[in-house]
Amino acid sequence: MKFGTMISDITASLFKRPVTEKYPLVRYPVPERLRGHLRWDPEKCTGCGLCAMDCPANAIEMIVIDKKAKRFVMRYHVDRCTFCAQCVFSCRQGCLEMSNDTWELAALNKEPFNVFFGEKDDIECILAGSTAQDT
Amino acid sequence: MEIINNLIALLFFPAGLFLLVLGLAYEWVDRKLIAQFQNRIGPRWFQPLADTVKLLAKEEVVPEGVNVALFKGLPVVALAGGLTAALYVPMAGLPSTYSFQGDLIVTLYLLSLLTLCMGLAGSNTMDRFSLIGATRTLTQLFSYEAPFMLALLGPAMAARSWQISEITAYTDGRWLILTQPLGFIVALIGLMGKLELPPFDAPEAETEIVAGAMTEYSGKGLVLFHLGKSAEMVIGLTLIAAFYLGGVANPLYFILKTLALLFIIAGLQSLLARLRIDQTVGLWWRYGVLLVLVQWLILIVGQRIIL
Amino acid sequence: MTNRKSENMQANGKSERFIVPIGPQHPALKEPEHFRFTVEGEIVTNAYVRLGYAHRGIEKATEQRNWVQTNYLLERICGICSHIHSTAYCLGVEKLAGVQVPPRALAIRTLVAELERIHSHMLWLGVAAHEAGFDTLFMYSWRDRETVMDILEQLTGNRVNYSANLLGGVKYDIDQEIADSILEGIDFLEERTRHYLEIVTTDALFLQRTRGVGVMTKTQAEVMRAVGPTARASGVTRDIRVEAPYAAYPQFPARITLATNGDVEARFVVRIEELFESHRLIREILANLPESDLRARFPRRIKPGETIIRVEAPRGELFYFIKSNGSDKPERVKVRTPTICNMSSVVKLAVGHQLADIPLILAGIDPCFSCNDRGVIITRRQNKPDLWTWEQLRQYGIGYYDGNNK
Repeated sequence: MKFGTMISDITASLFKRPVTEKYPLVRYPVPERLRGHLRWDPEKCTGCGLCAMDCPANAIEMIVIDKKAKRFVMRYHVDRCTFCAQCVFSCRQGCLEMSNDTWELAALNKEPFNVFFGEKDDIECILAGSTAQDT
Repeated sequence: MEIINNLIALLFFPAGLFLLVLGLAYEWVDRKLIAQFQNRIGPRWFQPLADTVKLLAKEEVVPEGVNVALFKGLPVVALAGGLTAALYVPMAGLPSTYSFQGDLIVTLYLLSLLTLCMGLAGSNTMDRFSLIGATRTLTQLFSYEAPFMLALLGPAMAARSWQISEITAYTDGRWLILTQPLGFIVALIGLMGKLELPPFDAPEAETEIVAGAMTEYSGKGLVLFHLGKSAEMVIGLTLIAAFYLGGVANPLYFILKTLALLFIIAGLQSLLARLRIDQTVGLWWRYGVLLVLVQWLILIVGQRIIL
Repeated sequence: MTNRKSENMQANGKSERFIVPIGPQHPALKEPEHFRFTVEGEIVTNAYVRLGYAHRGIEKATEQRNWVQTNYLLERICGICSHIHSTAYCLGVEKLAGVQVPPRALAIRTLVAELERIHSHMLWLGVAAHEAGFDTLFMYSWRDRETVMDILEQLTGNRVNYSANLLGGVKYDIDQEIADSILEGIDFLEERTRHYLEIVTTDALFLQRTRGVGVMTKTQAEVMRAVGPTARASGVTRDIRVEAPYAAYPQFPARITLATNGDVEARFVVRIEELFESHRLIREILANLPESDLRARFPRRIKPGETIIRVEAPRGELFYFIKSNGSDKPERVKVRTPTICNMSSVVKLAVGHQLADIPLILAGIDPCFSCNDRGVIITRRQNKPDLWTWEQLRQYGIGYYDGNNK
């Protein structure tokens, strides 16, 4: 039976800097394996759609414009993504990866949460189609 | 002229604004010290002030089933009690504003007024947490009050006067902590009990009864109780420093000695786990009273031998 | 006013009973759950618990997801012991599909599970200290817990939902750099854990709050079917890692930690000593990591069948029942989490204690309410239909809440 068993800790702390991380003011290095924003390499993609099928949050949509010409657009809903990296491991071609530098994804509007991957004119084609449908 | 002097004494110094600001500053020091002891950053310097301003601006919700006059009046009485007590205490190294034979007793009772008001405020509402908190607050009052008072009367006995100004004149330069160490310990820990600081925070143990007697209070009422408590902390520290630590004859001594006491209190707060209310009562009546009675015995015998 | 007050109290019962409601919103509970304690003065004379505030329908939701997606859904049953849920599910599904998982993957799963146990127990240490009003211990144990969180983040890329498991293996390998940093972190944690063990067994004021409080005898623990550290603190030898080794535990056998007093102090001691056991296991696994692939090929459809799997979560025995009908989706996944087994002990042990002991008794079982909430219907008479339609369920729910409010 002792009183004040934590006295060694509190006296040591008196001469130490607080361990609290001052995150927005000070940036700390992120671990190498951190799972952030998804990246897609269109070169290798065959449009098999396994990533979309296995995504637990339905964050990936594979939009096929022309299967023979290999014209695909991948629509990535960042706001739905749970960053589990299942798509990265489902992909047999290895064309998906999760970046470890883009992870501060908060935004005030919805636009950044809706990302299209693919050729520029393919995306424009999709966007034109969706606006035509909307109007 | 005398009216103006009285008004200044009541509104600005030593009671009123000065005491409130000092109370908030000491509250910040206390929180910051505990944070440092726990190896974290703690609040910024204006946090207690910001809390006060915010709470003053908030709506005060009066719950159903309370006596409204009592509900709104009690916080005011509590704060007034604390501020009035400051008039008899040598604040900031200056002699006390008013003084008469026996003002030590009046001061001690004025300091208890806050606790009493909190107990009444808790039992005024129908909330279960408030009721239990009020019961615990009053139970605790009965446990620490007697030893705390006896401990503060020790220096009075040594000075052979019940007037604070005479006692401080006697203790100035005499470190009574050396001759009455037990009384000092009981007085300091009694102050922690009075302020409901850990380990004596059973009356407001948040993991059991939310905020105890204060559960139903919001806005102005809450902030007045809060200010009353910070004022009481300053007055209590001043009394102990003046009685036991060789007096607070000038402002520098006042700041240094009260902050030293606050440092000890903050350390004890971070070292000790919360006591149950029955353990608190047991501690005070088993050890607190015993310690202070032994101190008195030594004091009386010592005075007989010397004289 | 006095009149209204006594009326209000009488509304709750025939005599003047004073009931303290704790929850669904209360500072002692970090999750929603409702407890009612009848008190006389400070002594609790009766206790009642109502579960179900955080029921999320996860078991039903698994039926609409394929085998791969279900893994991530089940990982989110619990925020603290996420990996062990995923491990239990993966082990079960792999057994059902007859897939042989590479030994290195099993070892890494076990390693992450032990790291997770460290993080869970240190979190619990802080929470329990906070419930006893010992905030300094709370702050320090959580500060040191950051070490194991950092290790997990370095190993898997995330602090809480590691998603280290894949069906048929694991995602992440352990290289020398990571192994070194794990060992370094474990050395630091072991030293700190020894310090915490000393604090909880010697600090006079803290012991006043924990010693002899909430005593559960061995017989009581067996009758109430307590699991995990709660049962082991009462001297019940129940640890799935020892009784029925799974994953890599056959190669790296765990030793059981026991205490006999059954009070809150014993639960502190058992959990802290389990940390030492975890440190030992982690060192052993890192020293003898088998060399093999990380992943085995896994079929999309699983042949019809059913299986059960038991694992030792930080809070106790976790039970999974998995049934397949041959499609790419599970037909039924049933989960039984440890908290629900221990919940009855809280209600039983609370009676006769002071109100101030309740938070400690409650925290003593390390409750995880969102894991444990579920809808259960017990049919005593046989004439009730076993299958309820949606409308019946709706009417039942409306009636239930109306009855509770009156």
